[in-house]
Amino acid sequence: MLSIILLVYMNASAQPVPAGQADSLRPYALVAGGSKGIGYGISEALAKRGYNLILIARHLDTLQKAKTKLEEEFHIHVDVLVMDLAYDSSATAIAKWCLERNIRLKVLCNVAGLGGANDYLSLPLDSLRYMVRLNVESCMALSLTLMPLLEKNAPSYILNVASMAGFAPIPIKNMYSATKSAVVFFSYSLRYQLKDKHISVSCLCPGPVYTKPSIVKDTKEKLGWFGNQMALDPQTVGEVAVKKTFKKKLIIVPGTLAKISSSLIRFFPRRWVTNLYGSAGDKSKKKTKTST
Amino acid sequence: MKWALIAGGSKGLGFSIAQALAKRKNNLLLIARNEQDLLTSKEQLQSQYNIQVSILACDLSLPESAALIADHCTAGSLEINILCNAAGLGGAKDFPHLSFNELRTMISTNLESAVSLCFLLEPLLKQSAPSYILNIGSMAGFAPIPVKAVYASTKSALLFFSYSLRNLLKPAHISVTCACPGPIFTKPSIEEETVHQLGWFGKKMALKPDDAGELIVRAMLNGKMIVVPGKLAKIVSFFLRIFPNGFVARLQYILKKK
Repeated sequence: MLSIILLVYMNASAQPVPAGQADSLRPYALVAGGSKGIGYGISEALAKRGYNLILIARHLDTLQKAKTKLEEEFHIHVDVLVMDLAYDSSATAIAKWCLERNIRLKVLCNVAGLGGANDYLSLPLDSLRYMVRLNVESCMALSLTLMPLLEKNAPSYILNVASMAGFAPIPIKNMYSATKSAVVFFSYSLRYQLKDKHISVSCLCPGPVYTKPSIVKDTKEKLGWFGNQMALDPQTVGEVAVKKTFKKKLIIVPGTLAKISSSLIRFFPRRWVTNLYGSAGDKSKKKTKTST
Repeated sequence: MKWALIAGGSKGLGFSIAQALAKRKNNLLLIARNEQDLLTSKEQLQSQYNIQVSILACDLSLPESAALIADHCTAGSLEINILCNAAGLGGAKDFPHLSFNELRTMISTNLESAVSLCFLLEPLLKQSAPSYILNIGSMAGFAPIPVKAVYASTKSALLFFSYSLRNLLKPAHISVTCACPGPIFTKPSIEEETVHQLGWFGKKMALKPDDAGELIVRAMLNGKMIVVPGKLAKIVSFFLRIFPNGFVARLQYILKKK
């Protein structure tokens, strides 16, 4: 309900693309969850390459900030839509918005996702459900509803953002890693389903990305020095992700150290990795207990 | 006597699991959408085995169902020590030929309902420990299947969830098992589809639901993490797991093109 109201509001305030201006001829990229973090990094990398952007997120103020910054720096056109992607109605509403304006959509990035330091045992059930909605469902739903538009503007690209957590189960991030594995699996399947339609599907699986202070703290606590070495900033991740997406790579793991770790994680039996992650989680729990 | 809760226990693999548990003298709480199916199963199980069977009709794809089930168990002060999540939706219809609602229902039945039931029934299971959680995944959870994109994704998530949950609930003496069966001929349409997609080999690999149910329950009670019933299915899943996901997906694409 809320999303519908917000959509109506945004429709009224969204500026139409002025006809005849050079930037209306540019191809568009839609970034779901593009106002902050990795999503913003990806938006920058796309803007640099001359794409007009449609950014979707929950908060208008961060969206406006991102819009101003991107338009000033890269001289592109940015549309913003305020929407909670976890709602049922969002994907359909977004597709309708794009179809009505006949947007030349060439790139779809599903970045919106929810995670945290701990989930299954410390979050309420509603948050776990929200995670499924946002991390898995919204990605599948947008791919489904925007597929006709992407097909029309082929060759086009879908970039789903998963995580290294999607390669092996992490006990203390139980739901997060389960939902991300679904995104990885979905991307693999989707790539071959859409191959004949000339839509290339990529899946970004980064290790730790320092998008906010709490992640820096959590990474250092759980993975120590190694985690800190492996971590990247969102700008680098966005740039690598976009570059590889246009090269039609399927699985994208930015950073050498992250690449090495993820190939080991994928190679070893899941049970080993799960137990290893599990003991790392226990250690950090003990540490926080003694420190408090 | 202790109780086993089986979500999706009125038909198919869920019913076979119910039978295998009834044979071992567990009381059963069966949950499914269709009340008539539930009543039929109840009658059959009660007359065949000397146990108590209780039923609850609700749609597991709805978000409120899990809380409803948990309340039902607490209100009846049932001593539940087995939770089996067998409700699942698959079938021939998958991405991109499904509607938005069908997509939602598949995700909520296959993944969300299992997560919610594990979450809400954990206190009860803890009380009557040692107890067991059995999630019904699929061989599709081992490697991506392009023609079943959403189904395989949800099953992979369920498998990941089970791995982590096993690690988390070990101290509480709750053993988590994930069954990953190959094709099981629970209804004629599945038999047809399997033969169509996998041919002779698929037919060889397929199991009868009763055999699969028995093998799965045995493995669960032995505290196994992963169970793949059937020898041929075991061999196939071994390869699915050691080959890179990309290779398996590409192979299917190439085979399909031919």
